[in-house]
Amino acid sequence: MKKILTLLLSAGLMTTAMQAVSSPQEDLEKFRLYYEQRFPGIQLDDFGNGPYALDANKRMQWESMEEFPPYEEYVDKGREIWETPFKNGKSFASCFGEDPSKVRVKYPRWDSKTQQVVTLEGDINKCLKDNGEKPFGWKKGKIAHLGAFLGYEARGQKINVVIPDDPKALEAYEEGKHFYYAKRGQLNLACADCHVQYPGQRVRGQMLSTGLGQTTHFPVFRAKWEKASPDGDGMGTLHRRYGGCNKQVRARPFKAQSRQYRNLEFFHTYMSNGLEINAPGYRE
Amino acid sequence: MKKLIAAFGLTLLIAGCNATTPEKPASLKAQYEVALKNAQAAVEKAAAVDGEWRDIRWKKSKKRYLPSAIKAAEAGDYEKALKLLEIATFQAEAGYKQAMEQKNAGPRF
Amino acid sequence: MTKPTKRLGPAATALALCIGLVLSAQASADDLEAGKKIAFDRSKGNCLTCHHIEGGPLPGNIGPPLIAMKSRFPDKAKLRAQIWDATAINPHSIMPPMGRHRILSEKEIDLVTDYIYSL
Repeated sequence: MKKILTLLLSAGLMTTAMQAVSSPQEDLEKFRLYYEQRFPGIQLDDFGNGPYALDANKRMQWESMEEFPPYEEYVDKGREIWETPFKNGKSFASCFGEDPSKVRVKYPRWDSKTQQVVTLEGDINKCLKDNGEKPFGWKKGKIAHLGAFLGYEARGQKINVVIPDDPKALEAYEEGKHFYYAKRGQLNLACADCHVQYPGQRVRGQMLSTGLGQTTHFPVFRAKWEKASPDGDGMGTLHRRYGGCNKQVRARPFKAQSRQYRNLEFFHTYMSNGLEINAPGYRE
Repeated sequence: MKKLIAAFGLTLLIAGCNATTPEKPASLKAQYEVALKNAQAAVEKAAAVDGEWRDIRWKKSKKRYLPSAIKAAEAGDYEKALKLLEIATFQAEAGYKQAMEQKNAGPRF
Repeated sequence: MTKPTKRLGPAATALALCIGLVLSAQASADDLEAGKKIAFDRSKGNCLTCHHIEGGPLPGNIGPPLIAMKSRFPDKAKLRAQIWDATAINPHSIMPPMGRHRILSEKEIDLVTDYIYSL
């Protein structure tokens, strides 16, 4: 009897423990299914087009804009940055390999040596430092231009974030997941409040995008950033966007490339595994 | 006219009396020093759990309650400093409480 | 000094009462206007981000349109409580807790409540 009780008890404990942490794969399946049921008829890859997948009028405007996309000149600038040799004669290819189309899909990645999430931006600046060059700023300018080029070259490939079976990697993933669902700031808003609960609905005139497909088009060219920039450069990185979101909910933003944002990117991008890379994108 | 002047005088007298009653600057300063320590501790506590709000001390905030309070005190305006510290402390405590409440936040569809 | 004030007494009281009455009658129209201003202000209530309000430019549609409020909230105190902290009833509510997080002052919440209640 005692044995049976212990067995039952431990089985009970096991199930609660298992419920507490679902695997990344389970999280992804639920996440994707939720959006597919909520927006039937939208193709998986189209979720990467944000509001333009959800609203016919916005889509038309966007498609005509895409005929002469404002991010094109920054893709070209990024190509130049990629091709220009460092003072030591080497170039980015010495860090990332010769084929620029094979870079973007590797990020964000878990680095087992340093036990942390490494982003494309992180490795760009590491490459510069390792070669005696001055690192780029983290949120806009050259780092976003190079990212735009590498994203453009990788268009059509599928997001494929790998979370290794390493407790530290899972911990990082869990922290990012928690960040996405936790309310923060004076306005008490979580990422999920808008992008899970209310995608397709409007805040003022702007339509909220789905959490699914949110990272596929980064770096992004935003009309809002274009207006704020003295030279009309609207390009920015994912962490620039994270900071802007946190500021709007009146939370103190974390620094670009902080542990918090890298882990958020890890979870956030993993949720879009299997969707096509469509960077750089355009958004209002 | 005479009546008006009389009434005016009375008002001034009352107002004058009121203005002299509040505590002396010295005790305000002491109050400020205690409040500043409390506010700073509350802000560190909120920051430690990633719960700090935008307008407490972030460099790009337009309000920056905590540094603004210190500035006001440096200019001798302890009353203003105390008011700002009260807001900073409230926000820090609310941010900490929020982070605690959200500790188990996770997927909900 | 005493003489004139004494004589002034009854007249002043009457005058004060008069002004008070006029002011309080006028206040509700002014208060509604003040409440509307706070409701529309992007750095204050910013209600239009999520709610449709008659006459409000570019409303969002996250929350329900603010119409027929008296029939939806027969008890005005409940409406005020909802504005003060919508998460008290639903912890997942997306609506910012305007009072609990001091996004608005108590006075501002009174004014906004009066205004929303009039819709």
